[in-house]
Amino acid sequence: MIQNIIINGLINGSIYALLAIGFSLVFGVARIVNIAHTAFYMLAAYVIYVGFHYLGISPYVAMPLAIIIVGLLSVVCYKLFINPIREHEAAVLIATIALAMVIQEALLIGFGGHYLGVPPLVSGYSTIAGVKVTNQHLLALGVAILALVGAWALLMKTRLGLALRATAQDREVANLMGMNEARVAMLTMGISVMLAALAGAIVVPLFVLDPHMWMHPLIMMLAIVVLGGLGSMKGSFIGSYILAFAEVLVVFLLPMGAYLKGSVALSIMILVLLIRPEGLFGVAFEEER
Amino acid sequence: MKKRNVVLSMLLAICLVTSFGFSAWGEEAIKIGVIGPMQFTQGEGHWNGATLAAEQINAKGGVQVGDKKLPIELIKVDSNEFVSLPDATNAVELATSRYKVNFLVGGFRTEAVLVMQDIAMDNKTIFIGCGAAHPKLCGKVKADYDRYKYWFRVTPINSRFLVKVDFLLLGMVAKMMATELKIPKLKVAIVAEKAVWCDPIVGIAQKNLPKMGMEVVGVWRPSPVATDVTAELSAIQSSGAHIIFTSFSSSVGITFAKQWGELKVPAAAVGINVEAQKDGFWAATGGKGNYTLTINTYGRVKITDQTIDFFDTYRKKFKEAPNYTAGTYDAVYILADAIAKAGTLDPDKLVPVIEKTDRTGAAGRVVFDQTHDVTWGPGYVTSVGTQWQNGKNMVVWPYKWKGITYEGSVPYLLPPWVVSHYKK
Amino acid sequence: MGLIAYYFRKAYTLFKGEVLVLPSRMAVLIFAISLLVLPLFTQDSYLLRILILTNIFAILAASWDLLSGFTGQMNFGHALFFGVAAYCTAILNLRLGLPPWFSIPLGAMGAVLAGLIVGIPCLRLRGTYLALTTLAFPIILLGLVFAIPDVTGGELGISGIKRLTSSRLGDYYVTTLLMLILGFVMWKITDSKKGIILHAIREDEVAVRASGINTTRYKLLAFCLSGFFAGIAGGLYAHFMRTAGPSTLEVALSFQIVIWAVFGGMVSIYGPVAGVFILFPLLEFLRFMPKMRMLAFAIIVLMTLLYMPQGLIPWIREKIEKECPRCKIRNVATRKTCRICTAELD
Repeated sequence: MIQNIIINGLINGSIYALLAIGFSLVFGVARIVNIAHTAFYMLAAYVIYVGFHYLGISPYVAMPLAIIIVGLLSVVCYKLFINPIREHEAAVLIATIALAMVIQEALLIGFGGHYLGVPPLVSGYSTIAGVKVTNQHLLALGVAILALVGAWALLMKTRLGLALRATAQDREVANLMGMNEARVAMLTMGISVMLAALAGAIVVPLFVLDPHMWMHPLIMMLAIVVLGGLGSMKGSFIGSYILAFAEVLVVFLLPMGAYLKGSVALSIMILVLLIRPEGLFGVAFEEER
Repeated sequence: MKKRNVVLSMLLAICLVTSFGFSAWGEEAIKIGVIGPMQFTQGEGHWNGATLAAEQINAKGGVQVGDKKLPIELIKVDSNEFVSLPDATNAVELATSRYKVNFLVGGFRTEAVLVMQDIAMDNKTIFIGCGAAHPKLCGKVKADYDRYKYWFRVTPINSRFLVKVDFLLLGMVAKMMATELKIPKLKVAIVAEKAVWCDPIVGIAQKNLPKMGMEVVGVWRPSPVATDVTAELSAIQSSGAHIIFTSFSSSVGITFAKQWGELKVPAAAVGINVEAQKDGFWAATGGKGNYTLTINTYGRVKITDQTIDFFDTYRKKFKEAPNYTAGTYDAVYILADAIAKAGTLDPDKLVPVIEKTDRTGAAGRVVFDQTHDVTWGPGYVTSVGTQWQNGKNMVVWPYKWKGITYEGSVPYLLPPWVVSHYKK
Repeated sequence: MGLIAYYFRKAYTLFKGEVLVLPSRMAVLIFAISLLVLPLFTQDSYLLRILILTNIFAILAASWDLLSGFTGQMNFGHALFFGVAAYCTAILNLRLGLPPWFSIPLGAMGAVLAGLIVGIPCLRLRGTYLALTTLAFPIILLGLVFAIPDVTGGELGISGIKRLTSSRLGDYYVTTLLMLILGFVMWKITDSKKGIILHAIREDEVAVRASGINTTRYKLLAFCLSGFFAGIAGGLYAHFMRTAGPSTLEVALSFQIVIWAVFGGMVSIYGPVAGVFILFPLLEFLRFMPKMRMLAFAIIVLMTLLYMPQGLIPWIREKIEKECPRCKIRNVATRKTCRICTAELD
């Protein structure tokens, strides 16, 4: 039982972490609440499906291709729709919602409401500590951890990462220091969506594809990011594991209430916010004028 | 920038104007509105089944109404009931007041059909349900006959009968496991999506399974759109269940089957899994859904003389197997027969004629009971149990049940990994 | 007799002075009148149904703006108030047999209670945190709804609720009048002293606190007022659709409300109302292209945000009215001098 909880929690947590970190990144650096984040995740999954089923590309090739395509697409969307209205935060929010709807509807038109699937990269299962886990899940865990380490390395060890962190801390001063704020925001958008696309690529064989699949991860991701503290990578990382474990605990301890896992996760988020309004590791931003 | 706005507003104006001109036009015909979630397979099934029937009837010249022969005109109405309830009600209103349909067939999501039914009854339009199984819909006919008499249900069978068939399937699998694998007391895990239609099934299962000599080791209720049930499957495996009794109507059915097959959980999956009724199930689960057993309405067997023809024609024309919402095929035929018999389109005169329907359709012999619900039982509509066997969805029930075996059925197969797990 | 004539003359002067001067107010008047006399021209039940739903959603969108636009507390879970009121009204009507005149206000009271419950944790939160937290509440409640299906009917909801009035026409007039009256009331609230305080809280809460005003009380007041009006909309919806189900608590509905309000123009009550009146029938009319419907809708919203980020109505207002630089009163754009202080309008 405990092994079940730990292993399932780790796997789910890593997938959530990929999504949450990208979202947190783009919010911290560019102050954009990108509701379309999980929509891009879904888009990447569909691109892989198309590549595999219609073009016959092997998933190993389709995945990096999908990540790059979706990343580029997001940068284009940013330039066209979000950059012109950066100052009006409410408008940016609605624009991302509308963008997510456009993606969903386009996929609905293209594929209908049918449920689709992609075969796993590695099939079969392994038994770890008495718990049966599919190999694809293990692969997902491995790739997620690699990606997280890669993102951390990017942020901490490279000049670009320095620029990102500086812009996240104080936009205007970073601008004064010679970092092109607009370009940094654009790059951040690209990187964050690529992380989301990577999550989509990993997850595609495990889950069922349908044009509404972006809603549930969106809610969980928002909960995680708020719980961990907006703008804090560390917070998102830890928050995703906390909420993933909470979900798995609900399924195991209360099987009759397995459908409640979303609600429980959100309640935990609210409880934490009551005690600490900035989230666990969040930085209380000064009121920006 | 200003020019773009002008173009946009002109486009909008054109849209508004053209949509106003969409009132019902044309020559005399019998207008049947097919209402359903047209963007999804259920609505497609509604439309396809009705289209097939209408084409066949019109090819023979139409329906004799009194002294003239009128063609059937189908009007597609998208209720969008999965996404928006106001959309569904607006759709029914549109069909009855703007398009002025004579009849309505279709409907799927019970929450929406309950409201759509009311609007149709307000307008005294005969509405034949082809998708919502809740007994309440026909219960209203009994409670307030004068108002609700215009409602009939052709498919699926009432959820009370659905439960009966569900248990018959479970019994068949249990018997096979007990005899082949020599297991004295079978353990059953109940997995039902969190939806109201499953609650009575779970309750009845918990009560009756011990009486049938089986032990219930746990009840899991995932969300109908759960994307990951590995946690549930791990728990089920640790509980030592031999059979998983499923009740799924939504995407969790695919997720469950896929992960069940991938993990090779040593338990046979049997019950209701609506997604497993569709052709796309095999590809969606990547073949891992092999050996899933579910209740179904159509199968490529000789339920009646018409079934195989219907099945093949449907599959050839629409590139997939018919689902229960394609029961609009039988519904349209029932309407056509009743109109020809009564010689009029007047709903009040038609209701008593429809009540006396005794028609052998593609799903079985349709006879309505006192509450305008389709009768279940041997010799009527029984439904079938279909199991995926290596890429093909085969009918495995009824198999020598009450003397009935539809020609073309095959025996049920236990998943090989289950057999090897227990035959140690 | 003389007294009545006096009141008539006063009303006329008021009318000439306040309403006729500005094209935007004239537009509102024409709009209200046309809504009220529409049934004289057509009683098409389909058209009336759409307008009734539009009225209900207009009240809902306006109530959102009261909270989020004026007080600056972005509420992404407005469907909570709507859903709670719909369910309360349904239960009161079905189980206790209360007629609509009682069940709707009482249902709205339920929504006010929900507003308090939501408002209190949100007091310490700001900006995006607040928005995302409010998003969570309807979802949690949805889980609760599924957990007690005996009371709430699970995913089927509660059906069989009594009608609002006995005829479609009656429903139409009730909702239209309520929409106009409540819209006017909300507008007057924002214009009143309390409204100004709410507006100030949005601009700079610390300064308001420094002025000695208890912002906590006002923020909670905003939640409760918003909840009350949204609750009325919820109750009307339950009685009109004759069912109250989990679709009233969906995230998609919360998003729709935000889209309507921001499209029409935040920080103005008439903006969201206009947004609903344009977008909801538009979505319905786009029915003839069922596949492209929502896509077209989303694209229209996206385009509008690009070119009119403040919203549609403020943009239109900019074009037809000018603000006097000296006394800040609005004038028709064609005037050369302000109508009150006669300053030059460029």
